[in-house]
This record gives sequence, structure tokens and C-alpha cells, in this order.
Amino acid sequence: MRVVPTPGSVSAESAPLPQAGGDAPRRVASLNLCTDELALLLAAPGQLVSVSRLGGDPQETALAGRARGLVLNNGRVDDVAGLAPDLVLTSGGIGGAAAAALTARMGVRVVTLPFPSTIADVRTNIRTVAAALGQKAVGEAAVVRFDAGLGDVPTVLTPALMTGGGGVAPAADGLSAAFLRHAGLRQMPSSETMRLEELLEQPPQVLVLSRYRGGQASLNTAWLQHPALARLPVSVRRIETDGRAWTCLGPETAEAVVKLRAATSPSPLRGGRLAPTRAAARAASFALPSRGRDT
Amino acid sequence: MKLTLTLLAALVFAASIALPLGPILAVHARDPGLAQIILTELRLPRAILAIAIGGFLGLSGAAMQALLRNPLASPDVTGASAGAALGAVLVAYSLNSFSTMAIAAGAIIGAAVALTALLALAGRGATTERLVLAGVAISALAGALMSLALSLAPSPYAIYDILFWMLGSVADRSLVHVAVALPCIAAGTALILPARRGLDALALGEEVAASLGHDVARLRLRIVAGTALGVGGGVAAAGAIGFVGLIVPHLVRGRSATPGASLIPSALAGACLLGAADLLVRIPVHGQELKLGVVTALIGAPFFLRLIVADRRS
Repeated sequence: MRVVPTPGSVSAESAPLPQAGGDAPRRVASLNLCTDELALLLAAPGQLVSVSRLGGDPQETALAGRARGLVLNNGRVDDVAGLAPDLVLTSGGIGGAAAAALTARMGVRVVTLPFPSTIADVRTNIRTVAAALGQKAVGEAAVVRFDAGLGDVPTVLTPALMTGGGGVAPAADGLSAAFLRHAGLRQMPSSETMRLEELLEQPPQVLVLSRYRGGQASLNTAWLQHPALARLPVSVRRIETDGRAWTCLGPETAEAVVKLRAATSPSPLRGGRLAPTRAAARAASFALPSRGRDT
Repeated sequence: MKLTLTLLAALVFAASIALPLGPILAVHARDPGLAQIILTELRLPRAILAIAIGGFLGLSGAAMQALLRNPLASPDVTGASAGAALGAVLVAYSLNSFSTMAIAAGAIIGAAVALTALLALAGRGATTERLVLAGVAISALAGALMSLALSLAPSPYAIYDILFWMLGSVADRSLVHVAVALPCIAAGTALILPARRGLDALALGEEVAASLGHDVARLRLRIVAGTALGVGGGVAAAGAIGFVGLIVPHLVRGRSATPGASLIPSALAGACLLGAADLLVRIPVHGQELKLGVVTALIGAPFFLRLIVADRRS
């Protein structure tokens, strides 16, 4: 059941907070999948009282298991107001104004996270949430882990096309493409909603299929079953990636990059580690669109 | 007129396969096998579906206008298309499968239910107002139920699929869709075409038609069943495409002696119209292809308004 319980039924006040000391907030509520992921990653046990229902849904995030036992909200401030939170995390966009109103009325602290547009923004967001939670050290460790997962951008990038179906492909100059570059893949430019004909005219060397709720019927998933896709030249490699990691573009995405790199690199020609350097990474990004640079 | 329209339809079909020409020539120079896949797996099904569905919409529109002796009767105004789309959606998202065969079965049943409800609500020989009212009510209900079904579907993408089901598209369709839609459309055509003489007699009134030896009830069943079959098959493959069935019979009527004689020209003109509309949508707008229904509505809605104005004057 995903029914949000009435505020009175929650009794987390007495929960111990072993790692959250001093001024750290003790009752944190997150209203958005993307802040859910960061909070679930960075908060001390017991510090979180509520995440959005998406944050508790294993089909939406690999971290859903950590949300077990938390109140699942619908992303609205009134859903969590009764939980007496001392910190509300939300993401830019629709919820922003309502969250600000809550601060004014109840004196509850609200942190509204901007949508990241560069990889540097992702690091900033990790640190922002960690600082708000009073978990700076945990945040720094998460940034180190994030950077280790990403690694440097290889000097040679393979033309690739990532799609989740329905012809929807991330922009070649966007943040998803910046993550893909760390996996050695250069997202090819495409229409916003690509037709199969466009894909076949310029087939990528690697087709990255982002699997998200693949078992649930929609025209998007049906698009991936088109016979013409099955007849792509054999030289086109197909790699699958966990679509959940590409919704928010945060720490989870770095883990997807690790897996993508492992899936693309066993070619004997490029075998072993390239021991790339910052300079090499810069040289590689030189050939790429300037937007979405990742340093 | 038939010859001109046939040639025009053939021209549109050829253009549908050939255009845009540049990319296909470039691919052919590089990789002929790939060019062949594009032609046979993508462009051919697209061209066949546009021509066949457009043709059937024109044919069934003319047949329904003759049967109901009403200038506004057509698969979209009567709610048959919306009913078919609802049937398709209910099958696809409740079975959690995009089996074209199952979807077509759902769409045919949906169209048949909508048409039966229309005849029950509006009665035979209904006034224009009553027919349009009943059609609007059925379309609205089917549309609402479709939105509800797509909202309740497990996939969060499903709600966006409403664009396809309500506006229609033949882009990225496959030969599988052709293999399912074409027999349905052929069967629908086979049911409707022999009714030409009956429809001519019906123009003189039901009693006259009966006295001339036509079984009016059977005639009605023939056309309703044929429309449900063809519209259902078409909607299963390409969604509900509006306005073609409504306007095409009016475009050719002035040139046909009788309602029955307008069936084949309507089919040919419908094929030309939808085929041409599908050529238009290939011109990308902000990197996106328009949905077919957007273009047919842009052509059809002003025509619809003209019909109403003409009706008020008479």
C-alpha cells in the first residue's frame, strides 16, 4: 500500500540519530525524486522521515530499498506538513513556490535544489544537500565516489546514440551526453523525437538502450520492437543501461557510467586502461559542442 | 474523374516512397542494404497505410452520409473512430501488450459499439443536429474513457500515447501493421461497395428503397459492420485520423450522379488526401514531425465551418 498515513500515526520522534549531531536537522522530508535520491544516499539513519512516492518506488530508483519504512508523500508540501519536518528538500520547478510559502508560514527550512546542467552542478548539489543535512563529510565522500565512478573522458569517443524508446534521445550537448562522454561515448545529434528513418540513415556505432519500465506497454517501448531496428547492421553494438539512473542525473548516473564503460571497453584494440589525463580529457572535449562541458 | 484520381493516388504513393529523396540516395551510395531496409521496412508500410486508411475513410464517409442521408455523417463525427481508439487502448494497455492483432480486434469492437450506440441514440434518418449531438456525446465519452485508461496504465509514458491515438500517425509503422490493417480494410470495403445500388435507392426514402427490393435493415448492417471493420483496422495501425471521411465525400459529390456513384471517387480522393497530408507532416517543425490529425484538421475544420454556414443558409 502506498497510502500516505495520517500525520498522527507516525512516531519517529524517538528514533535515534547516531550520526547526525549538533544542529543537524532531525526530521527531513524530501518532495522530489531527485532530492529523494540524494537524501537517501547522504542522510544518517533515522534522519529522513519522508520521501516522495517515486523515491520509494523500485521502478524509479535503485535506492528505493533505503526508503522502506518512510512515509511516502505525493510531492506536495501539505503531505509532509503534518510530519513536523525541520527541513524540506525539493527541486526547482512547480513545487518551489508552495515550498517557499511553507517557510514563511511555519518557519521550516526549505532547500530548493536547482536542476543540474553540468557535471559540476551535480557535485554542487551533492554538497548542498550534504551541508543541509549536517553531513558534510558524507557529502565529500560521495563526491569522491562520484568522481571515481566517472573517471576522465577518454581521448577517443565512439559515436553513439542513447534512446529510451519512442525516438526520444537526450540532446548531444546536454548533461546526459556529458555523462556518456565519461563512458567513452559521444551522443550523436538527433531530432527531439527521432524517427526510425533518421536512426537508420546515420546508424551509430553504439546504440545505448535505456531500459526504464520496459515491461510496461507504451508506444515508446513498442518502438524498440520495430523490425527495422532488428535489421540494423551487425556492426552496430547494442548496450543496455538502467534507465532509472538517467532520470535525475546524479550520483546514480556515475554508477551507470561505470557499467557502460565496462560494456564498451573490452574491445582488444582499446584494451587495458587508457590512463587518461585532464589534458587528454580537455583535448577530447575540444571536438565536442561547448555546452555541457564537464569541468 | 476516377482515372485522374487513380493516377493522383498512384503519384502520391510513389512520392511517399521516394521522398525525401536526398537521404535515401546518400544511404544507398554508402550501404545499399540499409537503403533497402529503409524503403521496405519504413517507407513502404507508411505509404500503404496512408493510402489504404485515407481511402477507407473516404469510402466509409460517403457510405455513411448516404445511409444516414446526412451530410455530416462520417467515421469521426459519428464517434466510430473514437470508439475504435478506445477499444484499441483498452486492449493494448490492459493486456500490457502491443500485439497489433489484438489491438485491431479491440478497435473493431470499439467502432461497432460506438456505431450501434449512435444508431440507437439518433435513430434512422435522424436530423443533422441529433446525429451530431449523439456523435459528439459518444466521441466525448470515448475520449474521456481513453484518457482515464491511459492515466491508469502502469507505464508513465502511456498518457503521452494519447497524442497518437487521438491525432493519428503512420510514422514508424511496420509491415506487421500493414498485415493486420489491410485485411480489415479490404473486408470493410468488400462489405460496403456492393451496397452502392441500395444507397442510391435509399436516397429516395426507406419505403421506396424497400419497394425496389432492397432490404434496408441488411443494408444498414452491411455498412455499419464494414465501417467498424475498416475503421477498426486503420485505427489499430495509425490511431484515429479525423476529417478525411467528413470532407472527402463533399469534394467529389458535385461530380457524381448519385450517392452510390460517389463511393469509389470518395475512396480515391481520401487516399490522395491522406497520402498528401502524410507527405506534408514529413517537413519537420522544430525537429518534430507533426501528427497526421493536425494536418487533416487544419484542412478539414475550415471546410466543416463552411458546411455549417451553407446549411444555415439553405
